[in-house]
Amino acid sequence: MMVDERESMSPTSIGLGVLWPACWTGLPIKLVFALLAMAMGLMQFEGRLAIAFLMLLASPVTVFAVPIITLTFDSHFGEGIGMPLLFLLSIPIDIWALGVVSRTFLLERLGKEPPDGLGLALWWKSALVGAFFMPVMWFLVSTVTEVAISTSRSLAEMESLRFVFSTGLPIAERIGLEVTVWGSVSSAVLIVLLVIGVSIIGRIIRRTAEAARPAPENYQGLVTRWDLERVPADQGLLLTTFTVAGVVLALLFWAVLPVTTPHPHECCKKPEAKVQPPFKPLETLNRDEQLIARLAAQVDVLEQQKAEAEAGKNEKGMGKVQGGQEALPLPGRKP
Amino acid sequence: MEQPSVPNAQPTAAERFIAFLDARVGLKEMQAKMLNEPVPGGSRWAYVFGSILLFLFLMQAVTGILLMFYYVPTADHAYASTQYIIHEVDYGWFLLSYHFWGSSAMAVCVVAHMSQVFLWGAYKPPRELLWVVGLALFGIVIGFGFTGYLLPWDQRAYWATTVGVEILDKTPVLGDFMARFLKGGPTPGQLTLSRFFVIHVMILPAALMVLAGLHLFLFRVASPAGPFKGTPDEIKAKTDYFFPRQIWKDIVGMAVVFASICGLTFWEPVVLLEEATPDPGDYHPEPEWYFLFYFQLLRFKMFSGEFGQLLGAVALPVAFMVLLVALPFFDKDPERNIFKRPVALISWIVVMVIMALFTVSAVINREFLD
Repeated sequence: MMVDERESMSPTSIGLGVLWPACWTGLPIKLVFALLAMAMGLMQFEGRLAIAFLMLLASPVTVFAVPIITLTFDSHFGEGIGMPLLFLLSIPIDIWALGVVSRTFLLERLGKEPPDGLGLALWWKSALVGAFFMPVMWFLVSTVTEVAISTSRSLAEMESLRFVFSTGLPIAERIGLEVTVWGSVSSAVLIVLLVIGVSIIGRIIRRTAEAARPAPENYQGLVTRWDLERVPADQGLLLTTFTVAGVVLALLFWAVLPVTTPHPHECCKKPEAKVQPPFKPLETLNRDEQLIARLAAQVDVLEQQKAEAEAGKNEKGMGKVQGGQEALPLPGRKP
Repeated sequence: MEQPSVPNAQPTAAERFIAFLDARVGLKEMQAKMLNEPVPGGSRWAYVFGSILLFLFLMQAVTGILLMFYYVPTADHAYASTQYIIHEVDYGWFLLSYHFWGSSAMAVCVVAHMSQVFLWGAYKPPRELLWVVGLALFGIVIGFGFTGYLLPWDQRAYWATTVGVEILDKTPVLGDFMARFLKGGPTPGQLTLSRFFVIHVMILPAALMVLAGLHLFLFRVASPAGPFKGTPDEIKAKTDYFFPRQIWKDIVGMAVVFASICGLTFWEPVVLLEEATPDPGDYHPEPEWYFLFYFQLLRFKMFSGEFGQLLGAVALPVAFMVLLVALPFFDKDPERNIFKRPVALISWIVVMVIMALFTVSAVINREFLD
């Protein structure tokens, strides 16, 4: 049965069988560093936290793709030295994770002897594939999504649908229809591209497996061997190391944790969650009209005062003329 | 050359203490029973969600108790005390935000756990009671989210709860009683807050502990279902024991969830709206995000009017829950491979897609509320 399984495994199954566990194997360690970076304020995420998380999770293939996507498409995931630092730290973690997972996969599922340096070899090949493939995927999925959104909006405004409801398609139904249309298209394109990407990685792994020697043991022997591959030689030492590391990290976390709510970076400030005061149009209109009337009255008073002042000046001027001084010519009049 | 063991070596203090307990409570036997349980087909990451849920409940209890040192459950002081926790108490913002995001994590993990059990066919005989008790626990987790949401007593909390209780009011026969019981009167106020607080910190935790204990007992009696693929020889060849393999995976799962919740507290710490007032003004009430999909569904025209509201708010969710409860009693086919159960697989995908689709729709709908 194992021979059949080896021969029938598609590149996609192989790629998924290695990438999926490898990503999750490395994630807990990366998450610890990510958390410390966030606690220290070295890293701030913009709204797209989910995408940033997926990028971190899949960093064997996204480690070079992320800077390319950030620079090429002006896509901003966040701020802070923490992000590039995290991706640099992910490199040894992913090499280790890919090594552990691919060795057990080759033994158990493909019955092959894992070659030396398997983790590093798979890592740089995956990273290279990801550096080209991920930006292309990003571009295609973004474009398809934008087109699908505008198409679905036009669809919702179709005349035939307007007749279904006398006032046109209600908002909730309209939104549901739009999201279904563009969501299906966008998801389908994303899934197809992901399958293609995973199968490319699967082909790389299969080529490596074909070059490897067959493992001599029977199934039980192989299972025991891959089982022992993952069990540390000195469990007590490992447990102690993990416990000490856990205590140290916990203390470090509490030491760097901000005492009061941390202020986000300028890039990533959340909109203030404030309820606007209720807008009452009639009251606002009346208030504004009253204000305008008051201001107009003030302007009238000021103009009247100005006219009276000028009239007063003219009278004084004429008085001076009668006193023997030449009168100043009035504007518009020739002396 | 190995050193021969000394035959008359005195036991250490720790060994004597353990021997004392073992003689009186059967400690070693209990330890063996708890830790040496075989996991057919080997330990799996898919099996971690149950332990994660227990861990989350523990963290919610710890953070909740710490918050209760400062929180005052009266209409006059609930808002102010919550703001005090956020702005004045050292690390108060972190505790409250952790508690808030922890409730979301519980909702996600309970759906993940139910999905895993459903997809693995682990609700089938002889695990029917386990499934039913699990559904009751699901209801309790939802109850936690609903009752806890009111406690900050800001506009969002007050009006989301008001809308939720009004929906409950639509239930025929019992609806009016349930709504008045929860509100403590005709309109939400001080009594509502008191009742929600008692339900949240006393009744629901006690119910959860009892049912979780029963759930674990039934699980141990029925034993793990194991994987749905593989020959009996393959499954036997890969059998692990609970300790250390599954425990290790559970611990890693708990650590990942803990770190994720902490990350969310940094990304979006809790910010309150204005204090609750009887006039919502321009505020549009909204429930917690994990209820948004249903909130959006109820906006459909077919759920308007008296009958429509009864159908959408009461009949549909009750029918769905009854279906889930009855599932192991009418699905007796022993086949557990999800890829050989197309109806189950398609139903699960449809439900997940509907939840995702309507949650996104609800977020988009916010722009059209005015």
